[in-house]
Amino acid sequence: MVYDGIVIGLVIGLIRAGWRSGIAALSQIRIKGGMIFPILLGIQLVLYFLHGKISFIEQYNGYMFMAVYVAGLYVLWLNRKEKGFWWIFAGVALNFLVMLVNGGKMPVSIEATASVLGPAYTQMLTDGTAVSKHIALSDSTILPFLGDIIPLTSPYPRSQVISIGDVVMNVGIFIYLQNVMLIHKLRASFVETN
Amino acid sequence: MGVAHRFYMQLRQPKYTYAFLVCLAGSILFVTSDGHLFQSYSTSEWVTIYAMVAAVLILEHYTFQLPPEGNQQSMDSSIYLAAVFTFGVSFALFVLLISSFVLMLYDRSMKWWKHPLNFAIYTFMITGASVAYHLLGGNAGAFDIKHMTAYIFGLTAYFFINVLLVGFYYFLLYKGKLFEVIKTFLTDAIFAYLSTLLLSLVLVILIVNNRSFGLFLFLAIAVLLSHAFRRLFVMYSKISDKVNTDQRTGLYSHSYFEEKLDDYIKESREKDIPLSLALLDLDDFKKYNDAFGHPQGDRLLGFFGQIVKAECEANQLLAARYGGEEFSIILPSYTKEKAFQFIDGLRKKINDTPFDGVDVFPHGCISFSAGILEVNTESFDKSQLVGWADRALYVAKSKGKNTVFIYGEVSNLPQRLEHDINEIEQQIKIFLSKDVYTFKHSKRVFSYAVDMAEVLNLNEENRRLLVLGALIHDIGKLEIPRDILNKKTKLTNEEWEIIKKHVLWGKEIVLATNKYQDLAPLVELHHERFDGKGYPHGLKNKEIPRLARLLCIIDSFDAMTTERPYQDTKSFQEALNELRRCSGTQFDPELADSFIQYIESRLTQDKSANPVGTEAI
Repeated sequence: MVYDGIVIGLVIGLIRAGWRSGIAALSQIRIKGGMIFPILLGIQLVLYFLHGKISFIEQYNGYMFMAVYVAGLYVLWLNRKEKGFWWIFAGVALNFLVMLVNGGKMPVSIEATASVLGPAYTQMLTDGTAVSKHIALSDSTILPFLGDIIPLTSPYPRSQVISIGDVVMNVGIFIYLQNVMLIHKLRASFVETN
Repeated sequence: MGVAHRFYMQLRQPKYTYAFLVCLAGSILFVTSDGHLFQSYSTSEWVTIYAMVAAVLILEHYTFQLPPEGNQQSMDSSIYLAAVFTFGVSFALFVLLISSFVLMLYDRSMKWWKHPLNFAIYTFMITGASVAYHLLGGNAGAFDIKHMTAYIFGLTAYFFINVLLVGFYYFLLYKGKLFEVIKTFLTDAIFAYLSTLLLSLVLVILIVNNRSFGLFLFLAIAVLLSHAFRRLFVMYSKISDKVNTDQRTGLYSHSYFEEKLDDYIKESREKDIPLSLALLDLDDFKKYNDAFGHPQGDRLLGFFGQIVKAECEANQLLAARYGGEEFSIILPSYTKEKAFQFIDGLRKKINDTPFDGVDVFPHGCISFSAGILEVNTESFDKSQLVGWADRALYVAKSKGKNTVFIYGEVSNLPQRLEHDINEIEQQIKIFLSKDVYTFKHSKRVFSYAVDMAEVLNLNEENRRLLVLGALIHDIGKLEIPRDILNKKTKLTNEEWEIIKKHVLWGKEIVLATNKYQDLAPLVELHHERFDGKGYPHGLKNKEIPRLARLLCIIDSFDAMTTERPYQDTKSFQEALNELRRCSGTQFDPELADSFIQYIESRLTQDKSANPVGTEAI
């Protein structure tokens, strides 16, 4: 779901800013602690890859994801001056919160999953197989409204179930990208009125 | 203690008291009417809540303005109404709670206490709409054509609660008439509001049939509409900006300046705050133009204008290009001393600013002369104000340029007064042939005025105004036909109307010569009465400038005591009694007192000097 906001933000940004100045603006992006993101991604990939191979990792998988989250939140906090990062921070924090209180796993609404992704996926969820980060939403779930409960389907091009945190985060990404890519245009019009 | 006390003092202002009370009542209403808790919504209901909150936030973000000014409109009401109609009041209130919370977190442009106030007002409106809806048999659920009256009733309740609560707030804020406030509110907003309300019905139909997609479709339409309205407003402000600004300098235009000056004068009178006016004139601009050509001269004007603009905008002052190389600045809530400080500071700053070719100027730098005027009760209309500021500017120019002068504190070259008196005397000599009585009357009123200026200890400028004004005050009678002027029998109504016009004609004559523009109010208003029953405008009390009130007394006194064939003449004592009788109604009591004392002292003087003399002089 992280990529949706980026893709939509980029496409609309390029349309609004124009191809050349849009790309030029993108090359100007500077994020504090930017190197931490690829490292976090790497850790996630490694964990995913090793999943099921080493039992030790499986046992602490949830906590490791938590640690990754905290590091990510820290980077976002560093960049809070950038427009839109507050939204991203809030979204990630909401996701983090609900995972934290539910044992490191994201609760997913079975109802919503069934309506969008079909019964096969629902089966996997209830069995608890194959999906390490998620857990079926039940009566014992704390803060269920922060879980993955929003079904997305056509006319949206992809079918998935997302949380309110995801939505807020993607709004932030969208705002940030628009702001970054249109900066030349905004500045140009400012000079014009002068 | 300090904070608590300050908070309490703030609360005592009516608008804050009102805001506080509304907030309190709104919260109580919210707590008592919302039976549901967080947990009791199912996940699919939560999805709807999220969607509606998002819709409210987006519409709030796309708040648009309607011309003319400050009229904010957002379509979020349609979401709340649709929520009431489809999901019930507690659902709508819950959506309101979450969106208000989010708004409060991220919208920092608004004062913090306005968020709870808005929340409370919306709570009232939503609850009111729901009560009205249920009273007429409506139930939460899908759209039902049978409940049409209930829908309309709900919408009406929502609208009226809004108008009342918000209208009352603005009423307290601007101290207008409640009825007037609500009326402007209704006329300005009714169409946008009506469409918002109708859109809520559309949303009800869409949301029941297609849930999220229905909401999405609605949102797209609402956003596009809001955007279109926004563009319209941008276009409107762009065009009005173009009309109101001078292209060369970026300052406001002459006409906008005049328009705003009126507003500021009115405001300063109503709220009794000072207001100053400054006229600036670039020194030796012609020299520069001749040396470097007009394009370069224009560049200098633009450059100068930018500095003035930047300085004035930083201090919330209004600067305009008055014309040519003249500029005008309105300084609201500035006394003349403060204004002097600012303008003189500006002058120094300009002096220190380098520009191409300033060597041709005598001072070796860009410089300007300025005249400052503080608006007070004496000043009647703006042409007079500008005239006075212009006079101070003239003195500044004549004293060697690159200086600032305050009107009234200028020693206005006494020999000029002598000269002016002679000049005006020449003008009224024309009455010698037309109506010798008016000629003599003017001369007598003039001599009274000279004495009264002494008695009241008027300053240089006011003395000049009174003396010259007295001499010229009946100049408008030139336009009245001799037959009417010298008629021995009773005048008809039409003839009276013509006589009354002499004040307006006189004003026009005076305005025609630039030099005596500031005398216009005395000529125009010397027949106004203290109680407002005079002509031409029916002004009363302090609305009439002090000198015009004085001139009215002198004029009436002389008219009563003048000998005219076939007419009764009052003795001085009788005329004084008449003045006393009408003091407070026709005449300003204070000035009448001074004048009566002055005449009495003159009478006793004359008597002691010439004991056998008659009373009539």
